[in-house]
Amino acid sequence: MREIAKLVVVLALICGISATILTVARQNLALKIEQQSDFYVRGPALERLFSKPASELLSNKISISAGDNSYPVFYLMDEGKITGLAIEASGTGGYGGNIVIMIGVDIQTNQIVGMEIIQHSETPGVGSKVEKSSFRKQWKGLIINESMKLTSQGGQIDAISGATYSSKAVVNGTNQIVGLVNDHRDEIMSLIKANSK
Amino acid sequence: MDLLLLAIGAIFVNNILLAQYLGNCPFCGVSKKLSTSIGMGVAVIFVTALASIFTWLVYYYILMPYDMVFLQTLAFILIIASLVQFVEIFLKKQSKALYNALGIYLPLITTNCAVMGIALLNIKQGFSFFEMIIFSVASAAGFALAIVLFAGLRERLMVSPVPQAMRGTAIALVTAGVMSLAFLGFYGMVQ
Amino acid sequence: MEFKKVLLHGLWKDLPPFRLVLGLCPALAVTSSAEMGLGMGVAATFVLIFSNMFISMLRKVIPDKVRIGSFIVVIATLVVLVEMLMKAYFFPLSQQLGIFIPLIVVNCIILGRAEAFASRNPVFLSMVDGFSVGIGFSISLTLLGSIREILGAGSWFGVQIFGDSFEPFEFMVRAPGAFICLGIMLGLMNFYSRMRGETLIQV
Repeated sequence: MREIAKLVVVLALICGISATILTVARQNLALKIEQQSDFYVRGPALERLFSKPASELLSNKISISAGDNSYPVFYLMDEGKITGLAIEASGTGGYGGNIVIMIGVDIQTNQIVGMEIIQHSETPGVGSKVEKSSFRKQWKGLIINESMKLTSQGGQIDAISGATYSSKAVVNGTNQIVGLVNDHRDEIMSLIKANSK
Repeated sequence: MDLLLLAIGAIFVNNILLAQYLGNCPFCGVSKKLSTSIGMGVAVIFVTALASIFTWLVYYYILMPYDMVFLQTLAFILIIASLVQFVEIFLKKQSKALYNALGIYLPLITTNCAVMGIALLNIKQGFSFFEMIIFSVASAAGFALAIVLFAGLRERLMVSPVPQAMRGTAIALVTAGVMSLAFLGFYGMVQ
Repeated sequence: MEFKKVLLHGLWKDLPPFRLVLGLCPALAVTSSAEMGLGMGVAATFVLIFSNMFISMLRKVIPDKVRIGSFIVVIATLVVLVEMLMKAYFFPLSQQLGIFIPLIVVNCIILGRAEAFASRNPVFLSMVDGFSVGIGFSISLTLLGSIREILGAGSWFGVQIFGDSFEPFEFMVRAPGAFICLGIMLGLMNFYSRMRGETLIQV
């Protein structure tokens, strides 16, 4: 009995100590990790969307929650006015899991300035074609007030042949962003104002 | 249809051993005889299926809600290690025959990166519960297939005139490379 | 004398993964470029040194029955720590190595050194052992990575070293190339040991 007690105590102690160390380490590193992942993963996409250096844009970040999800939103300021938004969402239903996309919106004209793929694990050479500019450029200039569909369903986006699932996932992600911009516009604006002060 | 493609993809196209490089230690270690490799293959399928279910549930119902995703690695290895112990005790009590057949492979499985790797891939790919079960069983079956085929080749290699320096693991790895080349032929079969 | 022996044994006598045939998965998976090989080697060395240190410190406290379990907890803690540090300071590399960082947990070299050396030797010597084996592992992985990257992509540490006329031998950076390259290296290593009159450890 005493032996078993000793086993349990030693194991519990080791687990406890290691959990403490890790929690402390995470508290100290979490911010740094987020900055790094913003810089390397979202930075290039933001640069392409707004043609400004990522270092200017990355700090303009808020987070908005709708339903169960929380969406990172980056904004572009021009002489004190908000001119553009870049919203990230994760489109479900891809062939290799979710596809994370980012869409830039010109806030005055409601036009989409571009769509960027942040992260995907689609089959190389097939589903990975969602990254190609020939597919992505279809987004440019679309007005962000109605949900999008593939042309096969009477919509405006041509799917990549052989990769319907991947294309659908991107459209799913887009529709989340469309919904967010239309339903939560005032909330986004007030959050940005509070943040930029 | 999709689930079938997922399964075929996991067994042939992205074979866990020959395309994803996971589980090579037991691959070289216990593939000298056909009978032991079959035992190992079955044991891996069994443990992988159980481990994937447990780790998936723990990830989505404990780690995610309580914001402890960073403890993923620690949690998974503990689940796998205790699961293996538990299975060993259970088999010993309940089924002597099965224990005699699989028992000696179980401790080896704790440090088999295929099991842990499949558990991590399930999360990384964002699979649903059913997809997760299909994917893990199929991947483990792919492991079993590769190790059994390989053992067949290796039994022949034992009696072949291989240069002295290449004997053992060296020629085994080269053979595995040729097998992996053959499996590349399945590439493009799925989507 | 003992110190020198422990310091040097990981560099030739127990050189992983060639002489000590353990840790094959990372040796195959992350050696498609020299940089990835080196990154993996350094990460594994960090874990090895500190896991040997803590396990040696705890060797009298840990009961024999839960030995392996305790080792795994110590190693897993260190691996999670490395995972976080790499994400915070070497983000692109950590994305490339992907699931192979958490998989250091099941790398047989680390558990093997804990069991064979750290659990029965004093703290300092165990750290030296971890250092030695870790450096050996890093050198091997960087070497393999260099060979595969130079032949398969025509570059070394990402720097192009051949002119435009070089057609990369793409086979080398794919899975079959990994197996065959490691197999041939292992054969050459055996050949060299035999010339030096050493006995082979593998059968």
